[in-house]
Amino acid sequence: MNLDFTQFIPSMPYILKGILVTLQIVILAGVLGFVLGIILSLLKISHIKILNWIADLYTSIFRGTPLVLQLMLIYYGSPQIIGYQIEPYTAAILSFGLNSGAYISEIIRAGILAVDKGQQEAAMALGVPYGKMMWDIILPQALKNILPALMNEFITLTKESAIVTTIGVMDIMRRSYQVGAENYSFFEPLLIAGLIYYLMVMTLTFLGKALEGRMRRSD
Amino acid sequence: MIKVDNLHKNYGKLEVLKGITTTIQTGEVVAIIGPSGSGKSTFLRCLNLLEAPTSGTILIENQDVTDKKTNIMKVRQNVGMVFQHFHLFPHKTVLQNLTYAPMKVKGLGRDSAEKIAYGLLNQVGLSEKAGEYPTRLSGGQKQRVAIARALAMEPKVMLFDEPTSALDPEMVKEVLEVMKTLANTGMTMAIVTHEMGFAREVADRVLFLDGGVLVEDSPPEEFFANPKSQRAQDFLQKML
Repeated sequence: MNLDFTQFIPSMPYILKGILVTLQIVILAGVLGFVLGIILSLLKISHIKILNWIADLYTSIFRGTPLVLQLMLIYYGSPQIIGYQIEPYTAAILSFGLNSGAYISEIIRAGILAVDKGQQEAAMALGVPYGKMMWDIILPQALKNILPALMNEFITLTKESAIVTTIGVMDIMRRSYQVGAENYSFFEPLLIAGLIYYLMVMTLTFLGKALEGRMRRSD
Repeated sequence: MIKVDNLHKNYGKLEVLKGITTTIQTGEVVAIIGPSGSGKSTFLRCLNLLEAPTSGTILIENQDVTDKKTNIMKVRQNVGMVFQHFHLFPHKTVLQNLTYAPMKVKGLGRDSAEKIAYGLLNQVGLSEKAGEYPTRLSGGQKQRVAIARALAMEPKVMLFDEPTSALDPEMVKEVLEVMKTLANTGMTMAIVTHEMGFAREVADRVLFLDGGVLVEDSPPEEFFANPKSQRAQDFLQKML
């Protein structure tokens, strides 16, 4: 095998700048997905049938079609949906956020259902209204239990974000690819991209473990 | 005062309560006993609407809690409840368990909520556990904290749903002592229990339920000495 990384040293700052782009997309889409996931999970456990139905339909659509298709539909469809072309970056955050919201809502729903029913009864017996009960009593306990599953979802999001390349977002993946094209050699820059993704995921895993440890202090 | 009139509760076709009528006076301590499946827990849980009654009315302090217009959250603030399995909030410290509802529901400031909480913890003998998380407590301690948590809302009525049934035998006494002290303060209490000795000593009245029917409603001396019904006689024979 004949690998020559030295010729890519001048391109490194260019590739590394992609980290910021990827991070921005992942963090914003993660926050959007998380908030959406909480709302959808509450709709799913509601006693109002139409709300269950809406949330289930949403989940089935976003889970039942490829992410790359959703990304392209939002990006190329925006002129027809809202009348103007949105930025690739915006399309990326939207599609990833909407998509992960579907997955996260299932994780949170399972987490809420796993909290002892007595917790809800105890809060109700104290006269705590539904919103406060969910926010202060049920969700904190649910989140503690589903933290590993949530971490998994964010890790998936980080890696899957590489497909924004297809609509021209200048993330790690696309930058590496371009550097490869410039030098007529793709292998090394793609290896560099792989290493960067791996390190990002490892950092995320480490942060997740630390957070989990903090949340387990009441055990 | 709690006034229950012709209370029915069905789960589908299953009739759990078949028309209970009784009154619990202010300051009265009522023990609710009966075989398992008799509907005694369901009856208690109907009083603060943790179970929705199928029909009948319940007046608490002259407010019809079964009326759709009644704000049930407001009513529950005045009706404390203690559960068999404690249901303390595991992610909150003992102190936070006591201050949460007064602060978030009644809008009390932290200082006044903590003042009440420390007073109650002192009363149940657990002031030194204020900063602990519930997992660090024994069953008896958990139940005493649960009683204090309910009392922190300064309720007018306290409901106890088999408060000692999940405890190791050596921890039953400490919980019953706390309840006895509470009874002596004039608190209105409804207690579902299997502790016959406690019922006999502390209760002003015994309600005996069987098959969803209120079979006997009499003072404990009378109930334990000469139960009128055959079912109560059989039940007591098995218990004592």
